[in-house]
Amino acid sequence: MKVRRDVVAGLAVLAGGAALWASSGDLPVGSLAMPGAGMMPMIAIALVMVFGAVLVFRGTAGPRLAADHWSDADHALRVIVATAVATFLYTRLGFLITMSLLLFGLVGLVERRRVLPAALFSLGVALATWLLFGMVLKAPLPPAPVWS
Amino acid sequence: MEATFDSLLLGFSVALRPDVLLYAFMGCLVGTLVGMLPGIGPLAGISILLPVTFGLDATKAIVMLAGIYYGSQYGGSTTSILMRIPGEAASVMTCIDGYAMTQKGRGGAALCIAAVGSFVAGTFGVIMLTLVAPPLGTFALGFGPPEFTALLVLGLVFLAYMSATSLVRTLLMASIGLLLGMVGIDVMTGHFRWAFDIPELGDGLGIVPVAVGLFGLGEILSTPSRSVTTKVVSPKLSELLPNRAEWRAAAAPIGRGSVLGFVIGIVPGSAHIISSFLSYALERRLSKTPEEFGKGAVAGVAGPESANNAASTGAFVPMLALGLPTGPVTAVLMAALLIHGIPPGPQLVTEHPDVFWGFVASMYVGNVMLLALNLPLVGLFVSVLRIPYSYLYPLIVMFCIVGVYEVNHSIVDVWIMLAMGVFGWVLRKFDFDPAPLVLGLVIAPILEMSLRQSLVMSNGHWGIFVQRPIAAVLIAICAGLLVLSAVSMLRRRNDWRARLAAEEAGDAA
Repeated sequence: MKVRRDVVAGLAVLAGGAALWASSGDLPVGSLAMPGAGMMPMIAIALVMVFGAVLVFRGTAGPRLAADHWSDADHALRVIVATAVATFLYTRLGFLITMSLLLFGLVGLVERRRVLPAALFSLGVALATWLLFGMVLKAPLPPAPVWS
Repeated sequence: MEATFDSLLLGFSVALRPDVLLYAFMGCLVGTLVGMLPGIGPLAGISILLPVTFGLDATKAIVMLAGIYYGSQYGGSTTSILMRIPGEAASVMTCIDGYAMTQKGRGGAALCIAAVGSFVAGTFGVIMLTLVAPPLGTFALGFGPPEFTALLVLGLVFLAYMSATSLVRTLLMASIGLLLGMVGIDVMTGHFRWAFDIPELGDGLGIVPVAVGLFGLGEILSTPSRSVTTKVVSPKLSELLPNRAEWRAAAAPIGRGSVLGFVIGIVPGSAHIISSFLSYALERRLSKTPEEFGKGAVAGVAGPESANNAASTGAFVPMLALGLPTGPVTAVLMAALLIHGIPPGPQLVTEHPDVFWGFVASMYVGNVMLLALNLPLVGLFVSVLRIPYSYLYPLIVMFCIVGVYEVNHSIVDVWIMLAMGVFGWVLRKFDFDPAPLVLGLVIAPILEMSLRQSLVMSNGHWGIFVQRPIAAVLIAICAGLLVLSAVSMLRRRNDWRARLAAEEAGDAA
């Protein structure tokens, strides 16, 4: 069976819309003369689902969901994991440590550059950014726990 | 006219202050770099640097951010001409003949024509902005909630109609944007909507985490480092001047591109991208030697480059005069003004003349700065492209996190940015354009408020939108555009938008 790209996208939109509709039951829709907090969201969900359905309907003749189209997923996943770890650590370890680790993780581990240049680049850039944002632009960056 | 001239003088007195000049220069410089670097467009650049402007007053902030926007249009041409890499989507058409000129040894001349064309078009756009925006703002003072509702709906429909992708896809993205814009406390009743017990979501989804996620991180996820080449050609300063024949061939396309770009810029949609495609098509059609296009035609560089610059200036007209963002970039700029407590719209000219006229005047100055920056320093800018992408994109990821966190000092915003980055990557895989989503997000609160106020005013009768003349005209235009799109869809005819999309796909490949 050929899996069509737009059919998959349309079905995902329909499922998301249905889930959102189900979770919006407690929002008061009100009346046309006095619309409630739920009226506009319901209209928007309905629009999303209608367009999702049109996508499914028209997608049966559309392009197939090709596996080679996702060949960069491996790289994307590594960047996503590195960013997620950095986000988790950002307020816990502070700017300098977290960003040095993030840069080293992406340059040294994801891109497999040589360790020493990657480490120097990571530390140098994190420090320069900290000086630029923290000192020159006075933007309060999260401090490392040892300094707080 | 005299009043406009006096106001413009006030604007120059603001724009020529050393501190404002400095921020205009910084914006132009960063914008040129942002336009040149693949994987980071003007939207991501503006979003990432938005928090840096929080410590500034509104004038400096908007001057710097707008400088990034129109500076990126200049910068985008450099990589297109020298390397056949469009640093920015609007520069795709410049790649074709610009790179062909480089291969013939006329890369310097192509850069000069692109810069001069951008300067002429940018200046023309600002003159038109000076003349058009204030009266339009005065006219819009008479708008009530029904007119604003109709105007916002028209904006969305126009966006879908002008989109190079399908109407359904664009409207779907805009509707998802509307949904995201409704997260948080309902301002009229105080109800929490889809906050899932996360207090930070009470204020809704910020435009910065969404825009940086979709366009900054999302773009990086979609660009594997192995696919980015950095073979750099740098022209000598002596090679920059075009010859007499090239100047002659560029003059008329620059003029036509300026007018076409400005008109399209006013219309909602990705105006600067569409205008460059249309200008290229127009120049090829008008040319006596259409066979030269694709082989280094001067008009193929001059027209699109002028058009995209005039369009980026034209996009400021509805933003400043009506408070209506016509695209994601103007939406973020609007958010920047709102963060500084200045609502763009009809009252902007009368209540904050220093901001409005200072901003307009800074664009005259910015265009001169960009011309001075882009020609003599092209070699220096090009050397930035020698930084390997595997070192460059980690920097962008870091700035995405720092930029988003600094807006509210909220780590929840950074998680939202990450989620939106993944969403943006998936959207690209399914061939969706995320730009209408950002537009939907920005206009959602305004649209909801004006729609509900209209219904309250009319005691629940939808007829209010056709009983008031201005709203009725706007709704009629909406209906006309939808009918045109439906007819085109039913006939399955390859209309001009589909041809543009096909052309874009062909060039990108």
